[in-house]
Amino acid sequence: MKCDEARKTLPLFLYGELSFEEEERLESHIDECSGCREALEREKALFQSLDSAELQPSAELLAQCRAGLEQRLENTQPERGTFWDKVREGFTIHFHFAPGLAQPVGAVAMLLIGFLAARMTPAYFPGMFHAASIADPATSRVRYIEPAGQGKVQIVVDETTQRTLSGNLEDETIQRLLMAAAKDPSDAGLRVESVNLLKNQPQSAEVRRALLYAVQHDSNAGVRLKALDGLKDFADDPETRQTLTQVLLTDQCPGVRTQVIDLLIQHHGPSMVGVLQEVMGKENNGYVRLRCQRALHEMNASVESY
Amino acid sequence: MKMDESELIRAAQRGDQTAFEQLVRLYDQNVLRLALNLLRSPEDANDIYQEAFLRVYKNVHTFRFDCSFHTWLYRIVTNLCLDALRKRKVRREEDTVVETSEGYLDRMDTVEEGRADGDPQRQLLSRQLRVRIRAVLNDLTPRERTVFEMRHYQGLRLRAIGEVLGTSEEAAKNCLFRATQKMRAALGDFV
Repeated sequence: MKCDEARKTLPLFLYGELSFEEEERLESHIDECSGCREALEREKALFQSLDSAELQPSAELLAQCRAGLEQRLENTQPERGTFWDKVREGFTIHFHFAPGLAQPVGAVAMLLIGFLAARMTPAYFPGMFHAASIADPATSRVRYIEPAGQGKVQIVVDETTQRTLSGNLEDETIQRLLMAAAKDPSDAGLRVESVNLLKNQPQSAEVRRALLYAVQHDSNAGVRLKALDGLKDFADDPETRQTLTQVLLTDQCPGVRTQVIDLLIQHHGPSMVGVLQEVMGKENNGYVRLRCQRALHEMNASVESY
Repeated sequence: MKMDESELIRAAQRGDQTAFEQLVRLYDQNVLRLALNLLRSPEDANDIYQEAFLRVYKNVHTFRFDCSFHTWLYRIVTNLCLDALRKRKVRREEDTVVETSEGYLDRMDTVEEGRADGDPQRQLLSRQLRVRIRAVLNDLTPRERTVFEMRHYQGLRLRAIGEVLGTSEEAAKNCLFRATQKMRAALGDFV
């Protein structure tokens, strides 16, 4: 390492933001270079001075803020959300495991299936509703309006209902609903929760396919990482390996790519060497490259293909 | 019974006011410290504090646990602060650091909490140095300033800062690098 580079990395070193390797290189340089040792001392002094410039809010200011907020909250109601928020809320799985019950296999899933829908209800109920009986307008939808004479009006409403299903994770219906929720394009949070539950059942081929689908197609990296987690015991399954190899070469997220490498190298094989060499040829992320490099070394393979 | 953070969030989502207040208390001192340091004005920091928690209150039902609550809250706070800083740059508002016949003075020195008397290190640090540092901070771009504040004073990791600002860890690192470089250039001979 040269002095220029060393001095540039000093602040990141003091913040503890260098990688292990970078830190090693810097420390060995500093051991041998008195100029950079002095520069490090100056950087430390600068950091201490910067500490002194921090403002601490007074207790009085904090009290004022809290009182002001309290007053504003009194005049505010939390927003109830849009229709679709409610639909999503209806689909939310609130899952609480007993402390110590780390393995949720067999746990009972409580599913709120929101809004089974309007489309499934008969389209027209002449004279069926009185205005007063109509539920919260936020959960029902006016389909059309007709004048009915004598100053009255007839309104056809699509009403939605919630149903609660309970069952354990092995239950086919529960799995089917979770798999549908795992593909809900509008709500990444719902997909994360669904995949998080499904990943405990990867022994089911259908669930495994849903996890593979999520790894390949989900737009949210958090969902993809959760799905990968569920596939960790299937790193020797040919279909899984094929999909993961594809993901390694195409996924945009370095975190996902790193996790895929970790999964794939659990089972060495000649084809793995070729894949990792291909990654080395196109990978821009330093950490992923490093991970690949290490894996290739462990396999006694060269870093580049010739 | 004391609830943990996720229980508090779920209770607040069900409309439990007490749970929401407890949630506020978990984070509000750090939120206020961040806003005060970024905006250097107690009035503005108070506005940001109230507006941020009001938004949390109105939108807590949309929080889906796909990031930490801390990240979600800081996203709201930093967005409000960045907006305020950018508007301020456009309006060229009066800076809190002013130059007088007695040298630089910082109006903020009159509003902050008194520093610990027994700390000899703090006693040694001159007020003029603090003022100068604050002047340098004012010269950073809003984004550099925010990254620096979150890393140096709030102790957030660069990865978390990237998440809060909706950018990569690498971009946050570059921002921090520029900020420290500017400060070293401006303060190097002073420290």
